[in-house]
Amino acid sequence: MPRQLPLGDAPLTGKQPVWDLPVRLVHWTLAGLVVFSWWSVHNHHTDWHIWSGIAILTLLLFRLMWGFVGSSTARWTGFIRGPRTVVDYLRGRWTGIGHTPLGALSVIALFLAVAVQVGLGLISEDEDGLYYGPLASLVSPATSDWARDLHETWFETAIVGLVALHVAAIIFYRLRGKSLTLPMVTGKAALDRRAAPMRRGKWWVALICLALAFAIARWVVAGAPPFGA
Amino acid sequence: MRIQVVAAVAVVSLSATGVALAALPKGKALAIMHERHEGMEKIGDTNKLLSREFRSGTPFAPAVKSGAATLAGLAKRSSGWFPAGTGPEMGKTGAKPEIWQNQRDFAAKLVAFQRAAAAFNAAAASGDMGAAKARYADLGGTCKACHDSYRSEMHH
Repeated sequence: MPRQLPLGDAPLTGKQPVWDLPVRLVHWTLAGLVVFSWWSVHNHHTDWHIWSGIAILTLLLFRLMWGFVGSSTARWTGFIRGPRTVVDYLRGRWTGIGHTPLGALSVIALFLAVAVQVGLGLISEDEDGLYYGPLASLVSPATSDWARDLHETWFETAIVGLVALHVAAIIFYRLRGKSLTLPMVTGKAALDRRAAPMRRGKWWVALICLALAFAIARWVVAGAPPFGA
Repeated sequence: MRIQVVAAVAVVSLSATGVALAALPKGKALAIMHERHEGMEKIGDTNKLLSREFRSGTPFAPAVKSGAATLAGLAKRSSGWFPAGTGPEMGKTGAKPEIWQNQRDFAAKLVAFQRAAAAFNAAAASGDMGAAKARYADLGGTCKACHDSYRSEMHH
């Protein structure tokens, strides 16, 4: 096989589906809620901040499940690969659609970072003891205070850092002539002809995942185990 | 209520005009700010324990009574915590300068807090945990009302 540059000069075909609607909705809603969470907590809307976090929890739960039963490009097994594949990709020897082996690392890091952030938020309470995450009663005030401090530090370092990397990668690819943003809006992209097309997940499976995600989030809001400590 | 607000305004603004009369000595100002910080922290810590009691569904009455008494005592002392000259211009504090720009409003909110703390303490002392929970919610409202306008984030 001829050696190729990894960035968009593989033989392309016409526009084909690459991201399904659930993936796109989760992506943009998550982006919006992260910004809203940051804004609300710095503008005396801690209650909105907490609900925003619970909405993010719901999104993560949905996305986790959709990663097992969704479209081929949404599945964890479809894009979690070993270091060898990442090296192959960097050498231009990777053909496929969906997350590239390198991009997949970024997706997983972002997902985990946001999950940690939500977990810390759930057990946090504010300095005055006036606002608290739904699971704060399960831990001591000292632990809640510790979680709140770490929640803030984690945002300023891990979340901001990964978001910056994410945006930098988008700009990098854009400068090399490949738009990543447009496919995340339209769901379609010009794809490598040699790659298998996306297998689409079923809409009713997505609805079941969403219902389950809401149910679990509702249980957490109630204070978890047997509804509160 | 009205008399209390007038009195509280008098205390806060007297110290404001005190800038012209005789500025608060720096040592005194810092001592008050320290007492205020410790007091607010104690209010917060007490509040965290109380909120856990009420959220448990079965509040432990002696813990609620003791917490309510602590809050009522600190609330009373808070009258002396905000003389002019103890804002961010003097040192590190979560107190916003707006406190001394809107003295009447601030004093009214401080009095509302003190009255709510006293009412919660009375309800807790009576042993009626249902009533105590309702008064506790009112009290939390007065904390938020004031902090929304007059408390800044403070890192330490």
